[in-house]
Amino acid sequence: MKTATKKKSAPAAFPLDRAGLLKAYRTMRTIREFEERLHAEFAKGDIPGFVHLYAGEEAAGTGIMMHLQDKDRIASTHRGHGHCIAKGVDPKAMMAEIYGKASGSCRGKGGSMHIADLSKGMMGANGILGAGAPLACGAALAAKFRGDGAVGISFIGDGASNQGTFLESLNLAAVWNLPAIFVVENNGYAESTSRDYAVAVDSYVDRAAGFGLPGVTVDGLDFFTVYEAAGEIIKRAREGGGPALLECKMVRMYGHFEGDQQAYRGKGEVEDIRANKDCLKMFSERVIEAGIIARGELEAIDRECLAVIDEALAYAKAAPLPKPADLLNDVYVSY
Amino acid sequence: MALAETLTRPPGGRAARKAGAIGIIANPVSARDIRRVIANATALQITDRANIVLRVLSSVKACGVSHVYMMPENGGIRHHVRRGIDRAENQGLDHFPKVEHLDYKISGTVDDTLRAARQMREMGVAAIVVLGGDGTHRAVVSACGDIPIAGISTGTNNAFPEHREPTITGLGVGLAVSGRVPPEIAFQPNKKLVVRVGDHQEIALVDVAVVTERFIGARALWRTETFRELFVTFADPEVIGMSAIAGLLQPVTRQDGHGLHVRLASEDDARLVLETPIAPGYLRRIGIRDYRAMPIRRKFRPEIGDGSLALDGERELAFNETDDVTIELVANAFRTVNVTACMHYAAQHGLMRNNQNLNQHSSGGSS
Repeated sequence: MKTATKKKSAPAAFPLDRAGLLKAYRTMRTIREFEERLHAEFAKGDIPGFVHLYAGEEAAGTGIMMHLQDKDRIASTHRGHGHCIAKGVDPKAMMAEIYGKASGSCRGKGGSMHIADLSKGMMGANGILGAGAPLACGAALAAKFRGDGAVGISFIGDGASNQGTFLESLNLAAVWNLPAIFVVENNGYAESTSRDYAVAVDSYVDRAAGFGLPGVTVDGLDFFTVYEAAGEIIKRAREGGGPALLECKMVRMYGHFEGDQQAYRGKGEVEDIRANKDCLKMFSERVIEAGIIARGELEAIDRECLAVIDEALAYAKAAPLPKPADLLNDVYVSY
Repeated sequence: MALAETLTRPPGGRAARKAGAIGIIANPVSARDIRRVIANATALQITDRANIVLRVLSSVKACGVSHVYMMPENGGIRHHVRRGIDRAENQGLDHFPKVEHLDYKISGTVDDTLRAARQMREMGVAAIVVLGGDGTHRAVVSACGDIPIAGISTGTNNAFPEHREPTITGLGVGLAVSGRVPPEIAFQPNKKLVVRVGDHQEIALVDVAVVTERFIGARALWRTETFRELFVTFADPEVIGMSAIAGLLQPVTRQDGHGLHVRLASEDDARLVLETPIAPGYLRRIGIRDYRAMPIRRKFRPEIGDGSLALDGERELAFNETDDVTIELVANAFRTVNVTACMHYAAQHGLMRNNQNLNQHSSGGSS
């Protein structure tokens, strides 16, 4: 698309350089392939427990996590695979964990809803909705004491935003001026209950305002929007500017959990999401159109990501289960 | 009653289903962008927006408007407005006109605004009251044709809608659409900017900024180093936002037969540097290379080959050197309710005095 006569690129044309854009795409594609594979594998019946897929929501987790370092801590949700991958957790260890294997990131005792890797600042997916918010406040408080400029981020679904823990955490973060950020991933459904029915205040920004926090609503399907807004919010928190709320409006491609019949969805809703609201397609089109990355480069990444997932799955399936003797190991920690 | 129809019926449009019907488009997601974080901008709550709607409803009802059509949305305004109306009915109060929401599937995007404006135009409503920022007003104007609008600022920068208590805006609209204030006083023409990128066309009501960023992202403008050029329909030194740059250089009224074109520069290359409020509480030094009047109907092209265009303060369109990009000022582009003129006329002609029955569509003017 570029011609020899093209004028010199203007400064600050994109918020990330080429390498950064490729990394963002690779992260989003890895999440998508991970989830698509789990969707297929779960139907075979070999995966214990419940699985909740992040497919369709990749731009939000990736756009936020691209600003974070290992010292920054996140508290995830039951839909945590995407957050884990974006935060740098090894997909092989994640897959082994989901299969309940001894080489999983939590040695096979957590499963899909409790993947954690503290070395990467991933404090854990969480099956208790709303329970991540106080954890993020704790991480933010620790960062404030240490003075290391780290932040604590809590991801919350639109349903979990009604939990008392979340509201108490907003209050705590505000009164202690913590470097805590609350990301409401609003995919429109609390399990199968629509947000319109279940959330009285209607706007998460209003909810934040009630506790004295600034709130921002963005299109969570647009990587660039999330990246830019999250960058400002995280920078502000690192510098002592205090907590904030970021609402990402998004869609999920699959049901609440795998096996969900999704009778609550409108006719054609999922097809519309696949065709018109695919955040990966939106990202690809933008960077290709801008002449920064060629389609072939993205396709090469697609193949590499598929190989990563193939490898992770083979590894997980071949890995040993924990032994009965390991039952109580790692359950309690001495202080 | 027929007067309101004849005043405002668009060419080819159907008459309003009920005489004197007006539309209200209230955006539930204006004032929600990143400027809450970088600039302490207002985050007007949904209940406040609903209360504004209720105040407007009371005012237009007092002027004889019997029917109001509203844009459907799922941001909460609708529910709170309904509760307010139900409360009044429970108390036996006749405060509000009949309120009906347009019936279509809500997208939760600007498409809802466009669709509502289009539908209201087809129905031939006498005026549309808009609650939102500059972006919301732009969307309405792009689809409402000849229907006059009245703006209420519930956004961030709000250069286009004038700042006043919505009760008064509602009264102005009611007096205008009931014919109590003559149309040549009640309505005023406005300029707009027409932007074309290849075959794609958009409009702006206040300003078009050319910036070096090639992505739309968080839309708002706050990185001054990316600013290159600015085109404005009017330039008011009392507003904030990009048009404040022009307003502080060379004020231009909404009625003047030209706009202003400003070329920006880094401070090192600038002929002068302006301290400008480009967002609420957000003053920045802006380097100015030069500025000149922007004549009507002359096409301008951006000086940079790659970048994006911000319309009324929000990045909307990315372009590159392969695109033909033009920016053009158009006069008499759309109509607004001149609330100031309506209220002064009402005072001078005693339209609000007790001996006047506001519910009668008299010709007005007796004092």
